[in-house]
Amino acid sequence: MMKKFTEFLEKKVTDPMARLAEQRHLLAIRDGVISSLPFIIVGSFFLIIAFPPLPETWMITQWAVDHAAEILIPYRMTMFIMSLYVAFGIGYNLAQSYKVDPLSGAQIAVASLLLTITPSVIEELGFVLPMQYLGGNGLFVAIIVSILSVEIFRICKQKEITITLPDAVPASVSRSFEALIPVAIVMILMTIITVIMGINLHALVEKLVTPLVTAGDSLFGVLVPVFLITFFWSFGIHGVSVVGSVARPLWEVYLLKNGEAVASGASKLPHIAPEPLYQWFIWIGGSGATLGLVIVMLIFARSKYLKNLGKTVITPSIFNINEPVIFGLPIVLNPILIIPFIITPLVTATVAYISTSIGLVTPTFVKAPWTLPAPIGAFLATGGDWRSIILVFVNIAISMVIYLPFLKLYDKKMLAMEQENA
Amino acid sequence: MKVLFVCSGGMSSAIVVNALKKEAEKHSQDLEVKAVGSSEVVSELENKWDVVMVAPQIKHRFDNIKKVADEFGTPCGPIPPQAYTPLGGPELFKTLKELIK
Repeated sequence: MMKKFTEFLEKKVTDPMARLAEQRHLLAIRDGVISSLPFIIVGSFFLIIAFPPLPETWMITQWAVDHAAEILIPYRMTMFIMSLYVAFGIGYNLAQSYKVDPLSGAQIAVASLLLTITPSVIEELGFVLPMQYLGGNGLFVAIIVSILSVEIFRICKQKEITITLPDAVPASVSRSFEALIPVAIVMILMTIITVIMGINLHALVEKLVTPLVTAGDSLFGVLVPVFLITFFWSFGIHGVSVVGSVARPLWEVYLLKNGEAVASGASKLPHIAPEPLYQWFIWIGGSGATLGLVIVMLIFARSKYLKNLGKTVITPSIFNINEPVIFGLPIVLNPILIIPFIITPLVTATVAYISTSIGLVTPTFVKAPWTLPAPIGAFLATGGDWRSIILVFVNIAISMVIYLPFLKLYDKKMLAMEQENA
Repeated sequence: MKVLFVCSGGMSSAIVVNALKKEAEKHSQDLEVKAVGSSEVVSELENKWDVVMVAPQIKHRFDNIKKVADEFGTPCGPIPPQAYTPLGGPELFKTLKELIK
């Protein structure tokens, strides 16, 4: 009965959904956004340097405050105009998936994003490109126009609407000619939209996505992906990789906008739920908040297998790698452990969301590498808010309490099995 | 022999790699194992691998990876879920043996 039910879920729900996340365009968006992460990570660290979490009376704090504008220049040129990097990444990956020249795809995507904004003329500087729509505000348009322009590019290529040169011409030369017609089409199209019709795509799209942006930042909007991720993992499918394909653009918008607020000196940050909220407070030790599980396993397990497993998985767990836990215990298709595996992150998410929204902890605005231990990651992600460390430990304690009875039950079963086989 | 492990980001399979290497040592077989993320498979396959093993958590991506591996004529198989742990060495080695048979 139970077996039939899980087979049904696997065939009808998780497998089709996981395959949906493998859809070409979603994959290109995901890989495009991920390719820009190094610039977000390093760029966001300049926010910490400009606003160091140190007493205001210290000399170094004073110096940083006085020079914030200069310190933030590397941030302004990377994370602050992230959509430019993302457009390049999406264009590259989508073109590659169609097996057309990826570099041309990336360049066409960048050109079409730039053609959604209009430069102004400032007397001393000449032409100036406003950066307002190249950051968090421009991400959705960047995604749309990158896909649109690469689609035009590859259709031209596949229908052979290109200028082809004789075989004797070097490949690199003929490649640049191949892109001429699609580039012309994309440039004319974008110019018509932005210049001739005078449409501000960014303002238009912002109106359309506002409900989505608001919903994803609500408590319910946090609990849905949290549930789906452990639900997928319960069937052995990488939940973050599936759910993230859809949710990551939103998470990045929250992060970019929080960063922009900090850089502009705002005291209140606009968003609660950038990805670091999930990373450091909800999934401590990996999806399912399994660090707590591994700790209770180390302390309380009496069966030989769980004791051994606990010792081998504690180190990767501290660095948020938990596949060995998920497949080793296993949690996958294990009715006893799936229950706390799904409940725990829902509880830690609620605690983290409420503490952030009532101001007990600063919302996250810095992206730290996900393999850092949670207390360090949380401290950095909140720009050095020490209260975030307390929240991490509270959530680890909560996860230990929830996992404990289930772990004991499972341990008893394993112990009985071991004695039977002995 | 050169074995390529594929998982989501190349992180978790790095842990499992050690389990396979230890087991191979016991059978005095020389293995070179590398763990990569699924987005790197295409470019990595050009470096002549003898076998590709795909982690269970990306089974929804297995068909695509297998297709690419077939183009290169490289044997490609899934890693059984129960073998995907630091204690899974013997099972991993068995799976590997069957793939290259």
